Amino acid sequence: MVIYLKAGGELRAKLQPDVDDCTRRVETEAGVSLRDILAGIGINPAFVAFALKGGDVKRLDYVPAEGDVITLQPPVSGG
Amino acid sequence: MGRERESERYSRQILVPGWNQEKLKRATALIVGLGGLGSASALYLAGAGIGRLRLCDCDKVERSDLNRQVLYEESSIGSFKVEEAGRRLAALNPLVELEKLNVFLDSHTVGELVKGCQVILDGLDNLESRFILNQESFKKRIPYIYGAVHGWLGYAGFFHPPQTGCLACLMQPGLSQPEPVPVFGTVPGMIGLVQATEAIKWIQGIAPSLLGRLLIYDGLHLTFDLVNVDKNPACPLCSKK
Ligand SMILES: [Zn+2]
Repeated sequence: MVIYLKAGGELRAKLQPDVDDCTRRVETEAGVSLRDILAGIGINPAFVAFALKGGDVKRLDYVPAEGDVITLQPPVSGG
Repeated sequence: MGRERESERYSRQILVPGWNQEKLKRATALIVGLGGLGSASALYLAGAGIGRLRLCDCDKVERSDLNRQVLYEESSIGSFKVEEAGRRLAALNPLVELEKLNVFLDSHTVGELVKGCQVILDGLDNLESRFILNQESFKKRIPYIYGAVHGWLGYAGFFHPPQTGCLACLMQPGLSQPEPVPVFGTVPGMIGLVQATEAIKWIQGIAPSLLGRLLIYDGLHLTFDLVNVDKNPACPLCSKK
């Protein structure tokens, strides 16, 4: 199945978009968690605090469905 | 300062629908971290006339702080932040009672720090301290207004379990935290003022808009996304049986 990943902040540079300036198309097996999908495309999950899908926060244990568009958000720790 | 001068000071804000100056006057807010976030929230809570501000930071002002930490000036360099912040805030509004705590936040000190306050504002600069503050806010049932920044990006949230999830529902320890964090003034300024706004609403009995939600502010693209943060049934803190 295919999902589409986007990224916020400085994570954009790590995403290597291929569909347009900010979207990467990823082919994956069904039933695989976002954490494992990220590891499979070389993105260290320590660089992803959480993800967004349609106005909701998703954690890295989220299992995407076909066609999902998911935005990865980096950890933000400054004050 | 006389009653008349006090009325005059707040004469414009009491015109705001739903405003309750008396509730604000009776409240204590804790600000942990007097950096870019804490500078903004402290100045505006003091200006609004909160009754008591508990200020916590154990750092001294450095020149590299001055691009964003608007409580301080060139002459503040080398002085403790709580002292400089106290001086500035007292000059802004002498009606506000200030508690200046030159204390390092850790699991031993956090209990005393939060005691008796109605709301906690996060002005911290690392995730570990935020998890300690989040845990104590959960334990004492005091709402925790999260804020954090990096570059053009800022997050703000209002956590108050069991009504909402907590910070540990949103993210796990062990995340990457580059040092030093790239930051310029307007991003922590924006997020700090959102935190202060939500604190003022909570204190006055107005439902905070960030309750159970997260604001994601991207200054580079000028986007403001408000997303839902559900409770994590596997949260090691707030879902623990
Ligand atoms: Zn939680």
